[in-house]
Amino acid sequence: MNEITLIQGLLLMIVVFICALDQQMEAFYWFRPMVVAFFSGIVLGDMELGIKAGAVAELSYLGLLTVGGTVPPDPLMAGFMTVVIAYTTGRGAETALGLSLPFALLAQWLGIFFNTAYSTVVRMCEKAAKAGDTGKFTRICYGAWFVKSGAMAIVAFLAAYGLQEPIQNFVNAFPTELVHGFEVAGNMLPAVGLGLLLMVMLNNQNIPYLFIGFFMATFTGVDNVLPIAMVAVAIAYIDYLYNQKMKAASAAAVAVDGGDDEDGI
Amino acid sequence: MASNYKITKSDLTKLGLYSVIEQIGFSFERMQALGFTCSMLPTIKKIYGDDKEQLADFMTKNMEFINTEMHMATFLMGLIVSMEEAGEDRTLICNIKNGLFGPLAGLGDAIFWFTLLPISAAICTSLAQDGSPLGPLLYIAIWFVSAISRIWFARLGYSLGTKAVSTISENANAITRAAGILGVMVVGGLIPTYITFAFGEGLTYGINEATVQSIFDNVMPNILPLGFVFLIYYLFKKKNMSVLAVILGIIVFGIAMSYLGWM
Repeated sequence: MNEITLIQGLLLMIVVFICALDQQMEAFYWFRPMVVAFFSGIVLGDMELGIKAGAVAELSYLGLLTVGGTVPPDPLMAGFMTVVIAYTTGRGAETALGLSLPFALLAQWLGIFFNTAYSTVVRMCEKAAKAGDTGKFTRICYGAWFVKSGAMAIVAFLAAYGLQEPIQNFVNAFPTELVHGFEVAGNMLPAVGLGLLLMVMLNNQNIPYLFIGFFMATFTGVDNVLPIAMVAVAIAYIDYLYNQKMKAASAAAVAVDGGDDEDGI
Repeated sequence: MASNYKITKSDLTKLGLYSVIEQIGFSFERMQALGFTCSMLPTIKKIYGDDKEQLADFMTKNMEFINTEMHMATFLMGLIVSMEEAGEDRTLICNIKNGLFGPLAGLGDAIFWFTLLPISAAICTSLAQDGSPLGPLLYIAIWFVSAISRIWFARLGYSLGTKAVSTISENANAITRAAGILGVMVVGGLIPTYITFAFGEGLTYGINEATVQSIFDNVMPNILPLGFVFLIYYLFKKKNMSVLAVILGIIVFGIAMSYLGWM
């Protein structure tokens, strides 16, 4: 169990602000749990915890963005609160991941609110556009960008610094079975990220490759997926060459057939 | 009306870099329209100078709904800038943009969202598992390069224009197929390492008190995590369950298993 000091709370707010700026851009991927948690861990003086928490949350929140066009639980807040809860309550990252869900939902609702409310920003920009005022147009866009990130940062500050005691008391009042239950669930949650990815990627043609990857990891004992990814690149290339060959062969066959028909006529 | 200004390579570099703000001011009503327009303004101002009428028309027409993948947005910006420079009719330019952003989004998502993200996340997570900073640092580096690569997308859009679109869509199937193989195989490799789904020592059966887990292990190691991922996949795909419902379900399941002492 650790306490977050005011200075740390303010620094965390800055971290979230910067990552939230990136979240709106989706440019540098600093909004991903892996990065948010890393920076937050550094601020809290426990980088290792931040890295581990980021790793757990990252996989659980894979593929959560584009599916169905809905806004999913917020990965930034999930990564952030996983570290914060693990740090303040002294529970493991897996347990904290499940407990971070309410905050991820809160941030999701905040996002929906802004995405709806920013119709007013569209109106303002329309006016600036009609006037041909590029400076004003740009300032409005930047304002909207910073306001949303600021709101996210304030929520993060209140959740991490303001709520730390209630969260601590709440979690500490949990019976051990409940805490362990969250840990069990936290260990399973990466299946959600993977399931969502498969929903988009998996089809009848590539399902054998899922099993190849699975068996390689199960029976070779490699502890990271880089070797598997390299084999996958090799296989994808073989598949590509084979397909090109088939394409050329069928094109040639069509050409020959075409010739026969003409001869027949 | 063709402009007198010639877009330089450095203009396109700036366009590519500045286009990282493409999604600011996001709203459900117009999605990326504001950021998309905003990103192009410095470049467009070079073409039209202080011609308010042209700028007003450009901004108004570009504020229509757009939602695409980031890199593809930069590509479209390059394309739009090249057509603006050539003095093409702006309604035509916008129609081309409207026709392209959807298909391009599919292609961009296949490359970045469904291939690069899971693979980089998988590799970096496995590096980070023991608390090594190499994991997050590599992750940051990979996505930095991805963001910077938008310079290239701006140039590609500008120089190849609509020609590139036909080349890309011809190869789109092959790219999507290769990305699918790569992504699916990596996901397969992640299952045993990152999903722990095992019954505890306490759950035994029969006279010998063999653990239930040992049955599953004898059939095939990691068969439970594999089956669990397929169950989740099934719930999303066939039952259309929401992400939240599935997450809550897993938490409830975990707590139940804990109270039963099975896990």
